[in-house]
Amino acid sequence: MAANNSPLPAGVTKEQAFGMAETEMEYRVELFNRLSQTCFSKCVDKRHVSSGLHLYFYGSRYKESELNMGENSCIDRCVSKYWLVNGLVGQMLSAGGQRPM
Amino acid sequence: MPTVEEMRAQEVWNNCAIRSAFSGVVGGGLGIFMGFLLGALDNPLMHDPDMSAKKQFIFTAKQMGSRSWSNCKTFALMGLVFSAAECVIEKARAKHDVTNTAVAGCVTGGAMSARAGPQAACYGCAGFAAFSVLIEKFIDRHS
Repeated sequence: MAANNSPLPAGVTKEQAFGMAETEMEYRVELFNRLSQTCFSKCVDKRHVSSGLHLYFYGSRYKESELNMGENSCIDRCVSKYWLVNGLVGQMLSAGGQRPM
Repeated sequence: MPTVEEMRAQEVWNNCAIRSAFSGVVGGGLGIFMGFLLGALDNPLMHDPDMSAKKQFIFTAKQMGSRSWSNCKTFALMGLVFSAAECVIEKARAKHDVTNTAVAGCVTGGAMSARAGPQAACYGCAGFAAFSVLIEKFIDRHS
């Protein structure tokens, strides 16, 4: 391992940097898992779909393995909105953290 | 998990223009075939003493050809409009439903009969919507 490629900020030991990176990694993984679960259950999982027409089959039986266009655009929009909300909430939290809550 | 080629192929197939062009071509082929069939049925070989057998054959072939071509254009347009409408509606609604098929059928029927006036357009819309919903249910049941 090459020594001192990127100098750590002052007052941060290597273990602390490792801990922060680990926390960040866990946060990222959790975000990804939650995002894909949310958009899957909203767009693809027929059990939780609320539509005007009745469901043709109950349960998770799929007719084809590929995403059709409706599901594709639904997932596009879902991910985009989730990401926007995530960024917005992060901004508000970081801005609100400067005042006492 | 799908491979990169499969995902790219799926992206290509999801493009509305490509999909409707493909449907137009398939509709054109169907129109040619149907025009052939109907032209052959409508012009039976009669024993005309004026024309020789070869001339009669050529005459029949020309009739079949012109009928095939007009049918081909009609069906190609129908397939194109239907597929384009269904694709656009499904992308806008972000749902895979039977209402996409019904509304697309209505648009197609209305567009095809719009020349004959608004009432004909309404009938064409309703009729074609019902027809396309039936065909969709039939296909879904057997696939």
